[in-house]
Amino acid sequence: MTAGQAVLWVLALGALGLCLRRGPGTARKAVTDAGQSILKILPMFAVALPMAAFLAELIPADAASAWIGPESGTTGILVASFAGGLMPGGPFVTFPLVLAFAKAGAGVAQMVALVTGWSIFAIHRIVTWEYPLLGWRFVALRVLAAAPLPIIAGLLAELVLQVVPIGLGRP
Amino acid sequence: MIPFLRRHASLMAIAAIGAAAGATIWRRDGAGALAAALVHAWDLFLFILPSLLAGMLLAASVRQLVAPGMLARWMGAESGLFGLAVATAAGALTPGGPMAAFPLVLVLAAAGADRGALVAYILSWSLNGFQKLLVYEVSLLGLDFALMRTLLTLPMPVLAGWVARRLPIAWTPPR
Repeated sequence: MTAGQAVLWVLALGALGLCLRRGPGTARKAVTDAGQSILKILPMFAVALPMAAFLAELIPADAASAWIGPESGTTGILVASFAGGLMPGGPFVTFPLVLAFAKAGAGVAQMVALVTGWSIFAIHRIVTWEYPLLGWRFVALRVLAAAPLPIIAGLLAELVLQVVPIGLGRP
Repeated sequence: MIPFLRRHASLMAIAAIGAAAGATIWRRDGAGALAAALVHAWDLFLFILPSLLAGMLLAASVRQLVAPGMLARWMGAESGLFGLAVATAAGALTPGGPMAAFPLVLVLAAAGADRGALVAYILSWSLNGFQKLLVYEVSLLGLDFALMRTLLTLPMPVLAGWVARRLPIAWTPPR
């Protein structure tokens, strides 16, 4: 178990302890709720993780370095911001794919732009949740207000990287 | 039928892309390469499983402890930057995926949050939601990267909410 996982477990058990103080019923509800969420997400994992592994295998080793490599600069940040919005699926797809891009030579600032672009634009999420629930006016409002943010995040990351060297991948 | 499709649209899209990619690997490199990729996927799953279990338990416990409408009275149209900051904090602390977060926007709107606060809320959840951050980003991309990206994007929902309040697009929550 890594340090991050240990922290997560401490937080989870702490929150469960607070539930328990409210009564055993609340704690039981939290545990069943967690179990149901896990059962719901397992089919996603069953298709998403193999997909990410296959795509990682298919991406040629130097494919990422030309478009979104560390030397691609502002153009690479623009490409990555846009590409992030097109990534299908939740974090179980995106983060393994980012890891695959990193192995194929993607730059760190470009990956900041990609993750930020995915967080903000994720088209599949707009189509399946935001538009049906909140309407196109809300989508327009949010997307217009946030459009420059992935690019700003990428450019800021480039400044940070000049001072602090930060790598990508498991420690 | 339509709700079923909506709920499973991304699952089916991912499965289709995965099947096509898997078939390509099989034809190019043979069944061995396909099996190796599947083993790699399984390893990744085992690696993320402890975080996943803890993250789900934490999310479910937080949902039991905090009522979502509680903070909305701080998020009205006159709430200024403070309201946007409250919305940003609430978004980052909201556990769960889109099936949990988007319906909460309607709850917050009904309880008095304005469009700027709602934009800040949903952006903060999608950029820096603690569950996604701890379960996936830290464990897969490393603490340094996750920390840098989070610190850089932390104030952004406030900025976007401020902009959204000034955009000439009127929005009323659907009933």
